[in-house]
Amino acid sequence: MPLAFDWSFFSEYWHPLLWGFIRTLEVSAIAIAMAFVIGAVGGAARAYRIPVVSQVAAVYVEIIRCTPILLQIFFLFYGLPELGIVLTPFTVAWLSVGIWGGAYNIENFRAGFQAVPHGLREAAFALGFSRLAVFFNVGLPIGARISLPSSINTYIAVVKNTALVYAISYNELTTVALNINAVTLRNEPFLVLGVVYLTLVWSLSYVLRLVERHLAVPEHA
Amino acid sequence: MLALLPSWVDPTAHYIIHEGLTNTLKMAAAAITASVVIGIPFGTFLTVNFWPTRALIRAYVEIWRGLPLIVTILMVYFVGPDYIPGFEPRAIYAAAIGLSLWGSAQVAEATRGAVQSIPRQQHEAAAALGFGWVGRHAYVILPQALRRLLPPLVTLLVGIIQNTTLAAVIGGAELAGTGQRQIERLGAYPPIGLGQIKALEIYGAIMVAFFCISFPLTRLAAYLERRLV
Repeated sequence: MPLAFDWSFFSEYWHPLLWGFIRTLEVSAIAIAMAFVIGAVGGAARAYRIPVVSQVAAVYVEIIRCTPILLQIFFLFYGLPELGIVLTPFTVAWLSVGIWGGAYNIENFRAGFQAVPHGLREAAFALGFSRLAVFFNVGLPIGARISLPSSINTYIAVVKNTALVYAISYNELTTVALNINAVTLRNEPFLVLGVVYLTLVWSLSYVLRLVERHLAVPEHA
Repeated sequence: MLALLPSWVDPTAHYIIHEGLTNTLKMAAAAITASVVIGIPFGTFLTVNFWPTRALIRAYVEIWRGLPLIVTILMVYFVGPDYIPGFEPRAIYAAAIGLSLWGSAQVAEATRGAVQSIPRQQHEAAAALGFGWVGRHAYVILPQALRRLLPPLVTLLVGIIQNTTLAAVIGGAELAGTGQRQIERLGAYPPIGLGQIKALEIYGAIMVAFFCISFPLTRLAAYLERRLV
């Protein structure tokens, strides 16, 4: 087993690794968008007690948060075909991670919407805004900003969780690196994994914190 | 009730519970213990104004919190043996080590926050009574910080229990791994298996088992949060 790092490794394997990285970003982007939409809709249903939707969202949140995400991935990929639903690894990748992020985001957004001062909503109602108009002009812009610190943590966790689809061999960065390791028995793929994920997670959290500081509601900062 | 279930269920459930559940609980117990034992001192030292220890512990915390847990476990399992002589861990040990690295980083960060949330006057009062740094922390600061640490520790325990499933990826025989093996066995043709895929039933049942363990613990964490803070 070669112990010293050999830089010629990178000239040979940078291409599949780059593609793996791009697929990681692709899955992350779809899942983050999904988590945002699920979180905003479900969080609003929870905060404003919209009948049926609120209860469904509550059950969904508990199921996802109280079961391991790896089993959710296995369930979608190996379990659903028994019901005739066959999903590709790519679909399972973004779907599972997006569903997971959505559940955590519902709680983030619920807390954010509930923290919006009542006076603001009452003022909007007094001005003759409809319920939906109040949500889009008052609840969402302020509530989403209050919930930003916790939803940022969820988005970063979503990016890290895309590595789990290694278990169903979707060709994202972790799978590509482990496949190269299996063929070459070299350790460089793990160095690549470590450096890439840490750079991605650290820079993402740095940039998102800047955005957060920029968007923070002054009285909640 | 049990007689109503098909005959393949009993031996399958027996194996998953005796082998899988036992290993899951062992891993979770080892990882939460290691996380607390490593994380609380690390977190306390993070509040000390001495930059070399702070920089080292900060690096430890940021690395193990930043890496996806599955990548940490894969590194422990595949890379560890190349650099540490005589280190050839079984899958569940490698996973428990990975969980401990991740968990101790979480505990360190939570402890730092809890220790820093104790008012400065508590330090001063303890110092005035003649306590040194060690006595001040052991008898005055940490007992108060631990109260605030309890809810995040229960939440971490839920995370650790759920993430023991990652051992299945490197072939560990915990709940998810034993389920995987039984699905493969039942998929084989008789007399070994049934020649049928039972993934939906088995993964579904294991998810129900995790729900039964995790849900009460999340309620406990919420209750402690209300009571103690």
